[in-house]
Amino acid sequence: MFKDLDPILHSQLRLAVISLLISVKEAEFTFLREKTNATAGNLSVQIQKLREAGYIDVIKQFKDNYPQTICKITPQGITAFEEYVKNLQSYLGSGT
Amino acid sequence: MSKEKQLTERESLDLIATMISKAKDSYHDTGIGAIMWGALIAICSIVKLSEIHFEYQLPFDIYLLTFLAIIPQVLITIREKKERKVKSFDDSYMDYIWLGFGIGIFLLIFIINVIFNVWGPVATEYRQLAGHRSAFQFSEFISPLFLLLYGLPTFITGAACKFRPMLWGGLFCWVCCIATLFTSIKADLLLTAASAIIAWLIPGILMEREYRNYKKEQAALHV
Repeated sequence: MFKDLDPILHSQLRLAVISLLISVKEAEFTFLREKTNATAGNLSVQIQKLREAGYIDVIKQFKDNYPQTICKITPQGITAFEEYVKNLQSYLGSGT
Repeated sequence: MSKEKQLTERESLDLIATMISKAKDSYHDTGIGAIMWGALIAICSIVKLSEIHFEYQLPFDIYLLTFLAIIPQVLITIREKKERKVKSFDDSYMDYIWLGFGIGIFLLIFIINVIFNVWGPVATEYRQLAGHRSAFQFSEFISPLFLLLYGLPTFITGAACKFRPMLWGGLFCWVCCIATLFTSIKADLLLTAASAIIAWLIPGILMEREYRNYKKEQAALHV
């Protein structure tokens, strides 16, 4: 019996963001936009969804008088990502 | 990635792998710090060697330049941290390793000065009594101590960042550390200069080149 894939993570842009954040301590919004090639608006929406799910922390601050958004994966986000990868592997392992 | 797309399991795994590799590839050191310290230590050692060889003395100790170099190093570090859009897990360890190295170097300088203050009068007394200098010259054993310290953070950085030129540079420092135990002070200074060039200057130049290429690639992507 396969577990359902986490709908929060099973979306292209949200999965891309979480995969980037799992590899680093924290990243700026501009970095995520650069690496995912997403539009600022779409990325903001998806980041908000990840934040609401408790998978990432979003810190808004000012740097040299410019607003800066920093994203960081939470322990809950790490667990969800690990679970998601495990489920993916079991799907692929079954040959489906 | 402008639209929401339903992924297959295979596509999901591929996307994860791509993003993890992109994140890992995102941090590039500018190499300026390594270039500065490599060049500075090499110059200081060669100037000291020329002072001994040509029997002249500068009005100041050339190694005092290393204290002055702390100012640009602090400025470089602040600028690099400001420019960085991403913080990796290694960053904080690396900062502490190099900070620890800096503290270690200054403690070593302090220890050597204390030993010289104790050894100086003993050596003078020996010369007066024996009519010749002692065969033991403490200055002959200073370079191995510095080279021992130079090798440590260089080797760790090279291994942790998978940057082979620094890893080999760290090992080269330790080889020179052993060699300088058995060589004259002139050879010690020459080997110290060679270590600074191989451990920091050359890797720094390679890092700087890689950083420039990365910046060019990024600029091209955003045209």
